[in-house]
Amino acid sequence: MSAAGASTGAGTSAGAAGAAAARPLPLAGVRVLDFGQVIAMPFGTQWLAWLGAEVLLVESAKHMTARVTPPYVGGVEHHDNSGHFNLLNGSKKSVRIDMATPEGLALLKRLVPLCDVMIDNFKTGVLEKLGLGAEVVRELNPAIVQTSFGAFGRSGPMRTQGGLHSAVNLFSGVAEVTGYAGGMPRILGGVLPDPIAGSYAVFGLLAALRHRRRGGGGQYIDGAMFEGMLSLIPQAVIDLTLNGRAPERIGNRDHRKVPHGIYRAAGDDEWVAIAVDPDVADAGGPDAGRPDAQWRALCRATGREAWADVPRFASAEARRAHEDELDALITAWTRERSPAQATEALQAAGVPAGPVLRPDQLHDDPQLRARGFMVETEHPTGGRRRHPGVPWRASGLQPEYRPAPLLGEHTHEVLTGLLGLTEEEYAELDAAGVLR
Amino acid sequence: MASEEAAPGALAGLRVVEVGEWVSAPFAAKLFADFGAEVVKVERAGAGDPARTDGPFPAGRPDPECSGLFLYLNTNKRGVQLDLGEPAGRQALDGLLADADLLITNLPREQLAEAGLQPGALRERHPALLATTITPFGLDGPYADYLGDELVTYAMGGLAYASPGVPDVAEDGEAEPPLHAHAYVADTIGGLVAAVASMVALVGRDATGEGSHVDVSQQAAVTAMEQRDLTAWSYGEIVIGRLPNSIARMPNYYLPCKDGYVALAAPWDHQWARLVTVMGTPEWAQSELFRDDAGRTAHWDALKLFLLEWTMQHDGDEIIRMADTAGLPFFAYYSIAEMAESEHVRARGSLVEQACDGDAFRMPGAPIQMHGTPWALRRRAPRLGEHTDEVLAELEAAAPAAGGAAR
Repeated sequence: MSAAGASTGAGTSAGAAGAAAARPLPLAGVRVLDFGQVIAMPFGTQWLAWLGAEVLLVESAKHMTARVTPPYVGGVEHHDNSGHFNLLNGSKKSVRIDMATPEGLALLKRLVPLCDVMIDNFKTGVLEKLGLGAEVVRELNPAIVQTSFGAFGRSGPMRTQGGLHSAVNLFSGVAEVTGYAGGMPRILGGVLPDPIAGSYAVFGLLAALRHRRRGGGGQYIDGAMFEGMLSLIPQAVIDLTLNGRAPERIGNRDHRKVPHGIYRAAGDDEWVAIAVDPDVADAGGPDAGRPDAQWRALCRATGREAWADVPRFASAEARRAHEDELDALITAWTRERSPAQATEALQAAGVPAGPVLRPDQLHDDPQLRARGFMVETEHPTGGRRRHPGVPWRASGLQPEYRPAPLLGEHTHEVLTGLLGLTEEEYAELDAAGVLR
Repeated sequence: MASEEAAPGALAGLRVVEVGEWVSAPFAAKLFADFGAEVVKVERAGAGDPARTDGPFPAGRPDPECSGLFLYLNTNKRGVQLDLGEPAGRQALDGLLADADLLITNLPREQLAEAGLQPGALRERHPALLATTITPFGLDGPYADYLGDELVTYAMGGLAYASPGVPDVAEDGEAEPPLHAHAYVADTIGGLVAAVASMVALVGRDATGEGSHVDVSQQAAVTAMEQRDLTAWSYGEIVIGRLPNSIARMPNYYLPCKDGYVALAAPWDHQWARLVTVMGTPEWAQSELFRDDAGRTAHWDALKLFLLEWTMQHDGDEIIRMADTAGLPFFAYYSIAEMAESEHVRARGSLVEQACDGDAFRMPGAPIQMHGTPWALRRRAPRLGEHTDEVLAELEAAAPAAGGAAR
């Protein structure tokens, strides 16, 4: 593949590209057979691919998920035009094989022994039906790390239930702690269960690979997306099972910090988050060592020094007892200011605060850009697009960003190169419709 | 003490030092510990990790040794207490790092220096060490000095604007602001991403033998999870958020029912036809207004009331049974109690038993099930300073000066 579209991140030094070429990427040498669908596993394998793994994405025009999801370039539906696909499959290779044909299955069975990792998030039972169940895979390649995720996992009575992200959220218990005061349980946005599952998959399979490099064998990893979400709410689970106490929905408030909220700012649908930790003490000055420094700072920043001496706001407990009044007073201040103005005033005084950022603002956020997190790649049909990269930096272990493949772009390369098919064999399979 | 039966985890032999407080770094180090790494958690002299103050506590009575949050986040670790403000404490920490593969810390930027943990200096003293820092915004950039926490990084990472999210919608943009869950969502994501980044670095280090500073920005970690919404802006200049203008095709909505709440997903025409049948083909559903997805979306306000009338006549279970039969991907809300008591969670062991002073409770267990090297509770979370002597004695045995000085 041409490196023309590669990028190592906007806003970082130009030397990064040269350094990346000079040293191997951190996951160089790891080969992944990827059956990822929609978001969850493609999200994870994109990180693997960016970081140097050779990710062979098995696709067929007969069954596509991400490629048939909008938004499309110019609104034109085409499998190479889906932004959804193109920004989840950077740096991967697309191998077009119709798995439902015997010849296609035979090709996959030849690929399995050549791969270190196999990954999928089909509905439970689909791989078995296709003839690539765990036992078959293990027999073909005992050293492979097979990572298989379902909404409810690969074991247990609900394993065959399909599940959209909303189902995962609604089953996990997260919805019970999400909601406005006195209102119904609500659903967190951003299809959060998907990228969380993808992240856990990457952690698990890399741990398994490390184990294998040190003399361990291959293994099977069973992932349930709801269990990833469950890791967000230990306190609610423990309070229920320890004390029999079911959680109350309290909007944006907190059990410890007060004030704690997302407040109306000036403008249309503009908001600023403010969180005051009562346990933080002044580091120096006349109040050195005295807790509730952030509250006093908030009073100063908002020009309401008097609040600091009002008994009903004098401690976290007191403020909690008068939280409606407190929030109304804070809102009266925030709604006169833009989120940026409120943030600057509060941060300068020493209060944790920040704007609620929309997706378009995240694209342009100066911090995310300065960190080289928002990167640009050029896709043959998608053009030049800005998108997130890996959310960390590691000296000497940086990723390399390449565009997503066109459908089947690497079929010939992989089948004649890696698998060693002759041109005649390849042409025959193609003519027989196996490489659809 | 460690249970003898538990097989070694995938990360057996890996040595990790955690200098962490609250959630993010402890959670990252917990993932390593739970999958078999030897993790030493360093707590500050005095009160230790402030997560110990956060509960839930048995009967609600604060006890630093029985905080549910702490007991969850620190399983399978050994715990030492060191005063990093003193040279002896820093020296002991340095002794631990000399023998470690990975350091994970979420000390704020200004405290890293005081603890002797500036990445540059660490690199000089321990060239092969991987040092992962988790800070709200990363160690450089225009906001590097900003104060950030769970809520602020959640807001500045885009999850607030996205919540509640499809199929749930804020119908009143004033009364329903961007929503935060009452949980450590952003902090856990920060820890999870730090664990992934550290794991990548460990695998990468196999080739070079060189250490690295892994600089995790929690804001970026949260933003990364906003993948779908960032894409909608990249490719379509579409802003996805909690307001009803993000609605695409209808019905794809979350509604109350007789005994709970259900997510109804039947946006495509063929699904809509099935839903109409499931509802008993009521007359209103024959209306031309609802014939295709454009019509159903345009007349959503009217359609919603009809659907609500139907959902309120049925239990969630009933609706899901009918939907299953019709091949519709509906789902009913489970409370945490219903989830915890479900056969599915029991069968998978998604929650595990733990106890503090005889008070038993359940908490989340393995986030992924690794069949070859199972997740295991080998050791409960450490009491404050529980392993200080033991660990310092090991240090002393390895390098007499370091352990001796700390005592």
